[in-house]
Amino acid sequence: MQATKSFEQAFLKQMLLGIQLSAVSHTTGSLQERKSAIKLSADVAMAVARGSKKWTRGLIASLSKEEQNRSFLQFVLGKEFERPAKICHSSWKIPRSKNIVRRSLRFLSKRQSNIRAPNSSVLAGTLVEKRTQVLKRLVPGGESMDAFSLLDETLDYATCLQAQVDVMQKLMTTLEASKHSRRADSDAQCPKEKFHLLAMVGSWYSTRKGLRKRLSKRPKLTL
Amino acid sequence: MSSRRSRVSEEEINRLVSKLQSLLPETRQRGAGRASAAKLLKETCNYIRSLNRDVDDLSDRLSAIIATMDSSSAEAEMVRSLLRS
Repeated sequence: MQATKSFEQAFLKQMLLGIQLSAVSHTTGSLQERKSAIKLSADVAMAVARGSKKWTRGLIASLSKEEQNRSFLQFVLGKEFERPAKICHSSWKIPRSKNIVRRSLRFLSKRQSNIRAPNSSVLAGTLVEKRTQVLKRLVPGGESMDAFSLLDETLDYATCLQAQVDVMQKLMTTLEASKHSRRADSDAQCPKEKFHLLAMVGSWYSTRKGLRKRLSKRPKLTL
Repeated sequence: MSSRRSRVSEEEINRLVSKLQSLLPETRQRGAGRASAAKLLKETCNYIRSLNRDVDDLSDRLSAIIATMDSSSAEAEMVRSLLRS
């Protein structure tokens, strides 16, 4: 999956919605609580924007294990969340990969190099096995994946993570820039500046470079 | 397991591996040559961990900015307009 504009837009929207949702209960919360709320919004938004993949289901499942996340997840996901069967779906289609995992484990414990599981020629070897285990723990839902799915889901997950970082970075840059300009011109209402910001954000997705260019071209405000 | 099936899977695995390599910042810079499976896995894990750290850090900074936003500010208006679009 290429991180598409539509994914980034869907992610941004979903995240902002989520932040607003949690803002209601977190205006007076501790710094840590507010940070966790933002992170939760970002992760749920990423999963929702991507749709149904093994890792997105795994991510929602692991997020729902924590008590403080449940009401947020319930609100955002609604009916989807109430049906646990959907969340555990990734564990349904595994008969084949279970055999593969079992074989790989036997390989590890017996150290018989001539046992080869299907699709495992890339992953033969103890170091590779070890690191595969690490990767399985890093990718949500990875523990129950066969080698091929793991590679596929990893690629997808990493792409989405990149986009998540990119969008959050852009949001922060834009918000910081807006604050900075307001400080320089604190008393006056500045509809022009507001409009400028909205226009800038609006064309976010036309070019990635557009944002950097516009920020550098912005006229310096004089008091 | 028929050999025909595993041959197709090998191609697909190779395709995935090269896509993954082009995604990773380090192997992308180095360009040529195939990294070993072990190296690829290590760099993939490192990359995912670093992206997670970035998200964590950005969540920190965003929560600081958003906390100081009031509903009449330019930022809040921007957020509202983003949601409307």
